[in-house]
Amino acid sequence: MPADAILSVRGVAKRYEGLLALAGIDFDVARGEVFGVIGPNGAGKTTLFSCLVGAVAPTSGTIAFRGERIEGLPNYAVVARGLVRTHQIVRPFREMTVEENVSVGAHFGAGRRRKEDAGRRVAEILEKTSLSRKAGGLAGTLTIGELKRLEIARALATEPEVLCLDEVMGGLNPSEIQEAMRLVRSIRDSGVTVLMIEHHVHAVMGVSDRILVLNFGRKIAEGPPSAVIKDAGVIDAYLGVE
Amino acid sequence: MRTARRSLRLAAIEIAALVLLLAAPRFLERGTLNDIWNVAFAVILASAWNLLGGFAGQVSIGYSAFIGIGAYTTALLAAAFSFVVGLPTFRLRGPYFTIATIGVSEAVRLLAAGVSFTGGSSGLRMPAGSFDFTRNYAAMVVLAVGVVALAAWVKASPFGQALAAIRQDIDAAEALGVHSSKYKLLVHALSAAIVAVAGSLFAINFQYISPGSVFDFRLSLSIVLMPIVGGLGTIAGPVLGALLFGYLQIKLLSSPGLRDSYLFIYGTMLIAVMLFEPKGLLGLFHRFLKAARRSFSKPVPDAG
Repeated sequence: MPADAILSVRGVAKRYEGLLALAGIDFDVARGEVFGVIGPNGAGKTTLFSCLVGAVAPTSGTIAFRGERIEGLPNYAVVARGLVRTHQIVRPFREMTVEENVSVGAHFGAGRRRKEDAGRRVAEILEKTSLSRKAGGLAGTLTIGELKRLEIARALATEPEVLCLDEVMGGLNPSEIQEAMRLVRSIRDSGVTVLMIEHHVHAVMGVSDRILVLNFGRKIAEGPPSAVIKDAGVIDAYLGVE
Repeated sequence: MRTARRSLRLAAIEIAALVLLLAAPRFLERGTLNDIWNVAFAVILASAWNLLGGFAGQVSIGYSAFIGIGAYTTALLAAAFSFVVGLPTFRLRGPYFTIATIGVSEAVRLLAAGVSFTGGSSGLRMPAGSFDFTRNYAAMVVLAVGVVALAAWVKASPFGQALAAIRQDIDAAEALGVHSSKYKLLVHALSAAIVAVAGSLFAINFQYISPGSVFDFRLSLSIVLMPIVGGLGTIAGPVLGALLFGYLQIKLLSSPGLRDSYLFIYGTMLIAVMLFEPKGLLGLFHRFLKAARRSFSKPVPDAG
């Protein structure tokens, strides 16, 4: 494992009764980078994130986070160590206010903040994710763009070292995508390492330092965006070949 | 702050209620005190169950087990037993958990009827002697007021927030660092211990307990119905439900023709709540308040 790798994934595979969702993936993520994950539908991207945070246990392989093996740990324990993910299909606590949603992360994440301290932190994050004006409203009343930002805000409130964003730009309009890209950069600039699954190829190319390309549960390319986009295998996967 | 004013108001109501209830034996006769005792018992059961069922969304229909264990022994044992129940059953979700709790409480009832140190199915008579109704009454009302205060405190705390997160989306809660099984076990133990204390006060007051009375499945059902009819997951809801059920029980028991019809009446109320107002009596009250406010604040627009 390279000295500067915060996350090291080796041979991670996940089998669901007869379906091999991940066929043994290897990659490293360096501290402080934005690491994009792309691939066609069903390539295993979300399954990979689920394995990383412990929402599902990988069938085989190892995951090292800051040098510690975390594969097989329960989700909450991984979050406590500083690795968190957002959900592609948003999962707000609909009967709570936006502020309460975010404070769950502040109380129970890696930060484990006490009451007043958590309140201050939550206010900062709401400001950063442009949700301050909605703070007192119920999460169930938000628009899709706001719900995507709430997913990010809640995950940030856990005070992660690595933040995994699962299609936070899906369903957004062009100006919202610009705003989301700015947000991802500012998160990176605050010292958080970012992994992001994104269908919006232009956006992910624009913010990522390196990109991993998956297809049918296998890694087909990895490298800087400029190199990945020229890769023959990647072009085949996206455009299809006979 | 709105929440601060709210908790201040609640504290004032609680203290006033406690003073009145504790002073009541000076003015009221034994029969009325008995009725208050019964209602206080119901408030404790309803509010304690609401911690698990209302706040955390884990519907248990096995609570007579904790009353029974409390009646036979102590709260500590009931809290320990809540882990015995919780550890395996909390792996189950939603209705599966609920069904499992029925099985566990029935098993406990059969066990109590089968072994000898409990006196078997004929039950146990309390050691005669130092029984004092006024003291038992005071303990019951203090516990009732205390449980309501505790519920309000839990609801406002991060612990309460974790429970609400678990109820609304357990996987999303875990994804934000909430150790869901730990908090479910904790709230189950807290709730079971309270119910068990009430159970032991119940046993002392009646001087006689049997598996048929304290492990009764119908008792388990009543405990669930009170918070649901009153308003699930709220502070005032279980109290309202308990007041209504306590009142009904007293009325029904005094009219021989209706004595056995209470489950039918509860069932009808449950169906009415589920169909028309899932937030219970409290929801109905809020709806009424809203309508009243609207008709006061908005005068009828002028013609033309």
